[in-house]
Amino acid sequence: MKLATIDYAILILYFSFVIGIGWKLKASVTTAGDFLTAGHKVPLWITSLAFLAANLGAQEVVGMCASGAKYGIMTAHFYWIGAVPAMLFVGVFMMPFYYGSRARSVPEYLKMRFDEKTRGLNAVAFAIMTLFSSGISMYALGRMFQLVLGWSFDASVILSAVIVLVYTYLGGLRSAIYNEVLQFFLIVIGFSPLSILAVQRAGGWSGLQHKLPDVMTHTWKYIGASNQNPMGVEAFGLFAGLGFVLSFGYWCTDFLVVQRAMAAENMSDARRTPLLAAFPKMIMPFIVIVPGIAALALTKSGGGYSLPMKGNGYDYDQALTTLMAQFYPSGMLGVGLTALMASFMSGMAGNVTAFNTVFTYDIYQGYIRPKASDTHYLMVGRITTVVGIALSIATAYLATQFNNIMDFLQLIFGFVNAPLFATFLLGMFWKRTTGHGAFFGLLTGTGAAAATYGLTLAEDKGGWITNLHSFPSTMAQNFWIAIAAWSVCFIVTIAVSMATTPKADSELRGLVYGLTDVPHETGVNWYQRPVPLALVVCASLVVLNLLFL
Amino acid sequence: MLDLRLPSGLFFAITGILLMVYGVVDPSRAPLTAANVNLYAGSAMTAFGLILLLLARRGSKA
Repeated sequence: MKLATIDYAILILYFSFVIGIGWKLKASVTTAGDFLTAGHKVPLWITSLAFLAANLGAQEVVGMCASGAKYGIMTAHFYWIGAVPAMLFVGVFMMPFYYGSRARSVPEYLKMRFDEKTRGLNAVAFAIMTLFSSGISMYALGRMFQLVLGWSFDASVILSAVIVLVYTYLGGLRSAIYNEVLQFFLIVIGFSPLSILAVQRAGGWSGLQHKLPDVMTHTWKYIGASNQNPMGVEAFGLFAGLGFVLSFGYWCTDFLVVQRAMAAENMSDARRTPLLAAFPKMIMPFIVIVPGIAALALTKSGGGYSLPMKGNGYDYDQALTTLMAQFYPSGMLGVGLTALMASFMSGMAGNVTAFNTVFTYDIYQGYIRPKASDTHYLMVGRITTVVGIALSIATAYLATQFNNIMDFLQLIFGFVNAPLFATFLLGMFWKRTTGHGAFFGLLTGTGAAAATYGLTLAEDKGGWITNLHSFPSTMAQNFWIAIAAWSVCFIVTIAVSMATTPKADSELRGLVYGLTDVPHETGVNWYQRPVPLALVVCASLVVLNLLFL
Repeated sequence: MLDLRLPSGLFFAITGILLMVYGVVDPSRAPLTAANVNLYAGSAMTAFGLILLLLARRGSKA
């Protein structure tokens, strides 16, 4: 792919704006709270778009397009069964505890609700996971731009790292959040035309239906058995694994996204943040998944475009970039590539700022120097930004040594997030849950995940203990690992809690259902209240699922 | 504090205008489409940018 001057101009324009926003925000960052938690002063429209955008990294954009080409519209389940219900749940049921507890991070909530060791376990696991994520974003960016444009891997990694470093060092979390919103706009504007053009060329949705096997254009029709669809999943595995454990585990407990809702101005806004984010989230499949389906249709029907090959199959990961090369002229191409660069960078910045907060408040203030001044923590926050970026770069280079590090990260997410969701469910809704229960539940849950992985095989992955069962796909395996991890954590937490003493009611005010006041809003239109909003989203989900049955 | 609609609006307005001008001036098209993508996308982008700027202006007056 060759870039023209205008493409470079757009990219440089974007970089200047991103740094400029950081620069402008520097003046409003005077305390550690400003730097690490955005001082609870971020308007609702920004928190909701940032909530969505923090998760919308390039792996999602490129990955969903690839999955669209490989699995068809079934991929939309990740959104319509996975993400959106989870977002509704966290907004309606969990935000009151997150926000009301005045915790500055998810681990801090765990300390308030349970005890120090539970917080420590989560803080360390999260810190490692989030740094790894950041590094992998950098690695993927470097690889992609090397492959597509012939840029030097080192140059791309260092350049993007430096830009992210500058704007997060200057403006902290607020800077990351503002830039995430800009990145979201860019992603929608940068990729929607591609979807429209590719589908148009394939003859519209009916054209796609004619050119492809039926299973590619239906979400539910072929979900009865795992051998009926290319994803290799059946209904229960899908619902329980993806729909429940994995998505809820991510959206309800991962500090990266929860942090954006916590930055809201008040509890109502914090609750509405994920709910408002659900609206654009529902239409993302049309922007990111559908081009992939069109790419496959065009390849199969000789529409002048063909997916590139990798070994014996298609190189699905290249679907998005090859589509851009064929449908975008110079100019728009610059916008598309800038959107791609933006999504990588937003992933990096989001992870680094989440790492910052957890390290400074939970690890440094928690264990290293608890009683220092606010200015001291502000300085620590800034230094941690630099160190975090440096460690991310190191991880990016580490990733070059292992070719399946991305799969590894996905696996780790399942190991850590799935049991954590059980811990949160019990912690937030059952006051009898104790610190010992939570801690051992988490440990055994993670162990169960490792055991399930070790005892089963899928596409040559896993089975390092022995092979008791073979899954038709790694996706199915991931779903079942998550189910196992969640269930074991759930059961062990209850069992150990029953055998240990819980905290007194007075210590649990604001942290648990039944001991927390959720303010009922007066003077607000019915459609602005959390529950009605959530119901509207649910209704829309039903319609979408029916449309693509 | 900085109103995000201002820099966002500015960025899309500028980029949109750049694309529109390029679309008018440059006769070449992408391999698989005859549509003048730069012109259409550029105008949509400029419109979006202007809306954001308008909202920012209304916000700062209130």
